[in-house]
Amino acid sequence: MAEITAQNKWEPLAAQTADREKIWSKSRTFAGDVWFRFRHKPTAIAGFILILVLALFALVGPFFTAFDYAQQNLEVVNIPPIMKVYQAPDGGYLYITTALKLVRVDEHGKLQGQLKRVREEDAKSMTIYDAGGTEVALYYGGSTYVVADEATGNIYPSRFIRNGSYLLGTDSLGRDVLTRLMYGTRISLMVALMATLVNMLIGILYGGIAGYAGGAVDTVMMRIVDIISTIPLTLYVILIMQVLGSGLQSIVVALGSVYWVDMARVVRGQILSLKQQEFVLAAKTIGSSPKTILLEHMIPNALGSILVTMTMLIPSAIFMEAFLGYLGIGLQPPLASLGTMCNDASANLRTSPHELLFPALMICAIMFAFNFVGDGLRDALDPKLKK
Amino acid sequence: MKKKAFSAVLAGAMAVSLLSACGGNSQPQNIADVSSAASEPASTVTSAEPAAQEMTFVLNNIPDGLDPTVTNNSFAQYVILNCFEGLVTYDSTGAVVAGCAETWDISDDGLTYTFHLRDGLKWSDGTDLTAEDFVYSIQHVLTPATGAQYVSMVTDYIKGAQEFYDGTGTAEDLGVKAIDAKTLEITLKQPTSYFIDVLSMWVYDPIQKATVEANGDAWSTKAETYVGNGPFKVTGMSMNENVILEKNENYWNADSVTLDKLTFRYVLDQATALTAYESGEVDGVISIPSSDYARLKADKAGVQTSPSYGTVYYNINCSVAPFDDPLVRKALCLAIDRQSIIDNVVQVDAQPAYSFLAPGYIVDGKDITEGRSDYGLSATADVEAAQAALAEAGYPNGEGFPTLHLSYYDNDTVKKVVEAMAEMFKNNLNINVEVSSADWGIFYDSVVKGDYEVCAMGWSADYVNPMSFLPLFKTGDSTNNAFYSNADYDALVEQVMTESDPAKAAELTMQADAIASEDYACLPLYYKSNSYLMHDNISGYFMNASGGLFFKDVKVS
Repeated sequence: MAEITAQNKWEPLAAQTADREKIWSKSRTFAGDVWFRFRHKPTAIAGFILILVLALFALVGPFFTAFDYAQQNLEVVNIPPIMKVYQAPDGGYLYITTALKLVRVDEHGKLQGQLKRVREEDAKSMTIYDAGGTEVALYYGGSTYVVADEATGNIYPSRFIRNGSYLLGTDSLGRDVLTRLMYGTRISLMVALMATLVNMLIGILYGGIAGYAGGAVDTVMMRIVDIISTIPLTLYVILIMQVLGSGLQSIVVALGSVYWVDMARVVRGQILSLKQQEFVLAAKTIGSSPKTILLEHMIPNALGSILVTMTMLIPSAIFMEAFLGYLGIGLQPPLASLGTMCNDASANLRTSPHELLFPALMICAIMFAFNFVGDGLRDALDPKLKK
Repeated sequence: MKKKAFSAVLAGAMAVSLLSACGGNSQPQNIADVSSAASEPASTVTSAEPAAQEMTFVLNNIPDGLDPTVTNNSFAQYVILNCFEGLVTYDSTGAVVAGCAETWDISDDGLTYTFHLRDGLKWSDGTDLTAEDFVYSIQHVLTPATGAQYVSMVTDYIKGAQEFYDGTGTAEDLGVKAIDAKTLEITLKQPTSYFIDVLSMWVYDPIQKATVEANGDAWSTKAETYVGNGPFKVTGMSMNENVILEKNENYWNADSVTLDKLTFRYVLDQATALTAYESGEVDGVISIPSSDYARLKADKAGVQTSPSYGTVYYNINCSVAPFDDPLVRKALCLAIDRQSIIDNVVQVDAQPAYSFLAPGYIVDGKDITEGRSDYGLSATADVEAAQAALAEAGYPNGEGFPTLHLSYYDNDTVKKVVEAMAEMFKNNLNINVEVSSADWGIFYDSVVKGDYEVCAMGWSADYVNPMSFLPLFKTGDSTNNAFYSNADYDALVEQVMTESDPAKAAELTMQADAIASEDYACLPLYYKSNSYLMHDNISGYFMNASGGLFFKDVKVS
């Protein structure tokens, strides 16, 4: 025991002033610091990448699909992405549509149009179709609809096959769900961009002026904000639509006219606390104009809260557009937004759930992405969470 | 963790999409394996006790009002037909039979009708209903301030009615007189062979003077003031939600009415209504989502089809350029693939229409429309002919043609049809199309004012006679929302109105039909058949050719 205690494991280093004063952690700028913390939050990065992917999907995607968002093919309505097909005697495949018609499908899942109906056999619960010269029967008397041989009642072999023509299926007018999804996402992202611009331009300036001017100006300006924020947005949109006609422009104007109020409140609060600080006093002392003080000194200092508020407002604007679309307010057909797609699909939810599923999932994905980024930014901009 | 959650969402999504397509793992080999007998779904449990005589029926459109003297809106007929009864009414075969009037005599010159009312007629509030009430109702319709949408159905037939409406005639000169409390005399302008059919329309229903004078126009908006004389009375009415009807003990034939309570519930979304129907929450729905029609019919889930005397067509505003040119209208008519709309969009059993006049009126055992021309139209689109007509009108390949505005009212099926038609116009005529929608009330208002270019419309005959269609394109008629005007057509319609020989009237009708259809006065789409849903435990209901559903004989079991 004595031997161990005798061995001193701690040896003094030769002390040098340079070493003592050295800052061992890496020195980073504020922006670098924020980026570092943002980058190390997996959800934030996932959200950021998801937004990039969605933007790519919406902007570049339509160039790679064979269809236009308005292009209809009434022969193939309500076809799901994965089809249960029956092998006809001539080797081709047959798919039973929700309207109980037979659509010919090739071995790669490409749709080739409806079969011709020959006759109806009510007594046998069968409809007879002509499949390339031979007659096949669509039997609808049972728990599931099947394609069978009329005489023997033997069901043709069936299997599942991916829809080769329309990756995500078609809607109730035979339009490509995938292409419409791209255009819908495009509109959602456009609304996001618009919300950003409005926030930046109106919200920040309005809040900044109210906060900096203070007093009576502040009171009047903030009461106006209160009034705007108490009137429901749906009402605005309906009123604006009466003037501008229904369409994207009405939604953009409606969102634009109200979506800056939260931002104005946040900025005003920040400016109120910042204007008490010494650097503002210093700027005033050297004779800077209020414009310079506001735009170059105070707002950059409030940027943290501004960014966070913005990333939280964007998803709510996107959701608002989708919600208005779902209510049937806003876009006029054939333009597609995610909300109107959901609305159109809800009528045939029971027979064709895929038409609702994909736009709904897309709304979820967009909301996830922006909320994750907003969450990540808030943490990254909060100095108390510095690691 | 969040990533895992996301992939779980994706996996769930995949599972749902797979489930929608596949039923089970074992592959049945023969249709006997899947036939209904082998896997009968659990049927509704029938209790030993007698079922409550109550039912709920879903309507998908909110009418613009429930005042029988004002509205001509077919969405209102379900309440009106079951709460009011005119001099004549319908029986279950669709024939016009005696209603409030037990018998009637027609003078030899065919001008004077004398109606003998039944004994003991009462309003739903218990007061007596007399011939004076019918006189008051018709005068009310003929008061311009009432705003009766069906006013032409009275002014066209009754002597002195037009003058009374214009303010130049007095009540003395009006051909509607109460001889005594139980005798009503109606004098016509000219002999009209189908006047009893016209009388079956609800614009001739009696309304109670006391409630109208006490409450003004608002009498038809509250249950307490909604006094009727039909098999049912209104006991609850919430705007845009429901109308509750209960048996009217004061109805002259109340003993034969079994149903105690009938609730009309407004559910605008067809899919929601269908869900409620399939879960047994409601007993019937007035319309069927097009994509579920085939499935419900195959499953024998209570799809009821009733022949209808009506046409679905699109009005083309003949008073505005460029639609005042028949060639432009012809091009529009030719550009539509009717068969595809019927089969794939509306997904119903219907006949493509080439004229506004629906088949269904039979004279001498023969449908009067039998063997008529197709006016150059066909079931499928004729793109070349459409392009040629448009070029002839001065718009080769659609160049220079202004953007076409296609308006419609909020309805899931109509929306799909409009979208499909817009695409056909765009592709087949190479023109720009803009669509816009509005609530029925707002939509109809702008249609009546002529503030539209092409709009969704449809006409269910108010009575089974071609005369219920012909005024649609008669100059100056209140139902002529297409603003079509043709002197020859007008003259023929006048002749049909006074013609007492049915065969001759039919011939004149077909000539009038040919004039309007060769001018493409409207864009006919298909001839209606009405289909609705009703559970098997309801019996005794019937629908007339104009789509009115009668519940007076309904029994719930």
